[in-house]
Order: sequence, then C-alpha cells, then structure tokens
Amino acid sequence: MTSPEPPAYAGAVARGLWDAGADLIGYVPSASVAPVIDALVAADGGARGSSARVFPLSREEEAMGVLGALPLAGGFGAVVMQDNGFGNALTALTTFNAAYHLPLLVVANTRGGLGEYNSMIHTFGQHVPGLLDRVGLRTFELDRRSGPEDWHAVVAEAGAHARMTFRPVVVLAHFWATDGRGA
Amino acid sequence: MRRVEALEILADATADLPVVVTCAATSRELAAVADRPNHLYLLDAMGLAGSVATGLALAVADAPVERVVAIEGDGSLLMNPNVLPTGGHLRPRKLLMVLLDNAVYGSTADLPTYAAGLDLGGVAAACGWAVRRADDPGTLRRAFAEARAADGPVLLHVRIAPGNAPDVPRLLEDPVVLGRRFRDWLAERA
Repeated sequence: MTSPEPPAYAGAVARGLWDAGADLIGYVPSASVAPVIDALVAADGGARGSSARVFPLSREEEAMGVLGALPLAGGFGAVVMQDNGFGNALTALTTFNAAYHLPLLVVANTRGGLGEYNSMIHTFGQHVPGLLDRVGLRTFELDRRSGPEDWHAVVAEAGAHARMTFRPVVVLAHFWATDGRGA
Repeated sequence: MRRVEALEILADATADLPVVVTCAATSRELAAVADRPNHLYLLDAMGLAGSVATGLALAVADAPVERVVAIEGDGSLLMNPNVLPTGGHLRPRKLLMVLLDNAVYGSTADLPTYAAGLDLGGVAAACGWAVRRADDPGTLRRAFAEARAADGPVLLHVRIAPGNAPDVPRLLEDPVVLGRRFRDWLAERA
C-alpha cells in the first residue's frame, strides 16, 4: 500500500529536511507538523511515527542534545517541533549547540499568530522571533506568501547555512493560509 | 566512595572510549584526575549529558567505537529524566550511562535531590535499560566491566558519598576548543 501524498507545504518541508543533509531527524509532536513527520517517515520506509532515521522525543531540550551531538561524530541532525517549545529548549540551545559551535537545523511551526484559536499561546509565540534573535540564533521565516518550492529551498539551504556558520539555525514555518494546518 | 575516587576508576577504564561528562563539579574533578581529548565536558548544559551521549551512540552505531559513556549525576538526571524513556525507546546499543548518585545537588550547596528516596536504577530498569550497580571501588571496577560488555542502553548506578573534592580548579577552557578536541579524537576512531 502506498502512502497518500502529503499536503504540498508539508511535503516541501520534508523534502527540504532530507536535502539539507540530515542524517537523523528527531521531532516533538505538533498537529501542524504531523504531516511533515508522516512524509519524513514514509520517505524513510517507516511507519507509525518512526523510521530508521526519524524518531520522536519527549521534550525540546533533549532534542537539542540528541540531534545536536551528531556533528561531534561528523554527522548532522535536524529537529522538527512547534515554536512554543523554544521555551523548553533555550538553555540547551545556548549552552550546548551554540556554545560548542555545533550546527543543527530546527524547523518549527508557529503558533499564536494568524489563524490561532488558543487564547493563551500567543503570549509566548509572538515573542519567539525576538527571543531567538536576542540569543543570537539565526532564523528564517516562511509563510503563505511563497509557494512550496520556496519552502523546500529555504529549509534545504538553512541546513547548509547551519553547517557553514557552525551554529544552530531555525526555520519558522507559518502554516496559516497554506494547505497545512496553522493551529 | 567519594566522587573523585569513582572518577579515578572510570578514567582508568575509559581511556579508549568517548566520555560525555555532566557539568560543574563532576567535569572539574574528572579533568583534574585526567584531562584527555576523549572527554567532552558539558560546562553548563544542565541535564544534557545523557541526551548528548544518546545522540553520539546513535551516530557511531556503525562505526568502530565500542561504547559511548555518559557520566551523569542524580541531580542532573532529574533535570532531564527524559533520557531514560528515550533510551528505552531508541535502544542505542552503544550507550552506557554511569550515574554517580550522591542524593544531593553537589554543585549547588548539597541541597537534597529526590534520589534519597528514589531508586533511579529502578526507574531506568522500568524504562527498559539494563542496570548494573556499584557502591565501592571493587564493585565499580567489576560492574563497569560488565556494563561495557553488555548491549545498551545500560545504566551503571553508583552510590557515592556527598561532597566535592577540595581545591579542584575551575574548568575555564573555551567550549569550542573542548568540542573540537573531542571531535578530532573521535574522528580518528569513527
């Protein structure tokens, strides 16, 4: 049985992650990135949320440790998550990944913006770009104004940028008004 | 057994293995015992030693590296207990975590941790880890050899006395240098 085609934007993110050169991909679940995870797992021959190179993690800070360690062994890792998880991950990102100059690609869907239904989550989400900038983490943003091919290219190139700068790099993906789920 | 005594035994037993060490007093004491390029000192990344070692164990799964060792403390593990269920789920065969359990936060004024009334080895076992135990130099040497020979994830639960070694200098090296030194050492083997 073949897997159904993912939504165009989710599929573009998944292809971008592989084309970014990720050896392993860890994720912390979010409804918005679930189609990305499904596409990653399907492309890697897995099922039910896991494959040889894609696996779940329970919290964002451990994701930064597990996937962030790969460059120490000559590899490259990526994390897929939701942006409010940066509240859990900032200490790990700053005292490990950034402090040791370890490249890592983080792709996070955003919450709290256009299309949001949760009356609380914007209190953190609206500040994520500023917080990441404040701690020196390079961030690229994607939204409805560009198509899936642009999303694919940006995610893939963000991985190259992480390796070129020897730093973690974040892509913030706003799924609202795409064919994905914004909240 | 004091922490520094345990670290002397572990340093002797891990000269050929990558070792990820938890922050503060444990890193300082290990560096004072033996400062070697196979040591990755996590200078301030609280609770991350097990996660970093998990990632390394996955990364060297097919490389000629026998084991990846994490040296963790009970307080630090309790800051990121996800290490245990994640290890049980991913089952990195080369992961060996040595838990130096003194039931206090040794780097923060010896405030008590839950470990005085909580068997972290039992928690690891419930998460699917193989568990070995030690509480003195003799049992530590034997249990480490057993743990090294076993398929991971393995937790070696070592009960030690509270307290830090006196007059150990701070570890003030640039983390980039420490990371690069470790990476170069590992690249020669992986």
